Amino acid sequence: MKEHELPNPGWGPLSALPGNPLMWVLILSEMLVFMAFFALFSSERAAQVALFDASQQRLDPLMGGLNTLVLLTSGLCVALAVEATAGQRIRRARQWLAAAMGLGVLFGVIKIIEYSSKFAIGITPDTNTFFGFYYGLTAFHFAHVLFGLALLGLVSWRTSLENVETAAAFWHMVDLIWILLYPLLYLLR
Amino acid sequence: MTSLPGTRRLLTTWTLLMGLTVVSMGSALLDADDWQTLPLWSAGLVILATGFKAQRLLMVYLNLRKATPAWRGAFVGLVILTLALIGAGYLVGRMS
Repeated sequence: MKEHELPNPGWGPLSALPGNPLMWVLILSEMLVFMAFFALFSSERAAQVALFDASQQRLDPLMGGLNTLVLLTSGLCVALAVEATAGQRIRRARQWLAAAMGLGVLFGVIKIIEYSSKFAIGITPDTNTFFGFYYGLTAFHFAHVLFGLALLGLVSWRTSLENVETAAAFWHMVDLIWILLYPLLYLLR
Repeated sequence: MTSLPGTRRLLTTWTLLMGLTVVSMGSALLDADDWQTLPLWSAGLVILATGFKAQRLLMVYLNLRKATPAWRGAFVGLVILTLALIGAGYLVGRMS
């Protein structure tokens, strides 16, 4: 591809990536941070299999799966918002962004219901190592969902292709992390 | 401007991702009354389905299929490394 055809000419190795190149630096660093946490979780699990298995039984994999489906659909809405923005259909793009944000809020509601049900039976981050990881990892991810929602809100107001692509890249990263987090916490036993 | 995936490809990918999520949930035998350790093939299926979902998300949703091979390799490599760490931790736990 010629330099002038790239999404971000003049950004060196980052020039071939869509949206603001600095967002990709953030995405890469976030992926590395989560990877380190996942590795730590895996090593702790290997050392305390019985405890982790017993604790994992107290999670609801259907709630986690439902949240995966919600985030994947939200990701589709954001990708469709990028398509609409590229086609100068700004009103439609804002509708897709609103749908994505609505699903992001739904993800949060499901997560809060899950947290509440755990707290109600006395399961807190201090309960044991597994639940320390469970709350820590999901809350850290949830903080990214909230930041992503703020970004989507911002680009719904300032709707340009670069802005929407930038927010979309962050939102898809949030989606990607959850895809990796879900089997680790809920499914593998 | 980057060449975008198009509505049809996005919808196909979304259908695939939703389907794989349901397969992952099913392969993990989601029966709360019958909680047991997963057979190895089932755990392997969960990890494979997760890897494929992550690859599709990177290539289509994040549109890295239009980025350079180096970027595609870097992101897919990171996902593979993450899943390898998760899988290795799981296997060590199973064998201990």
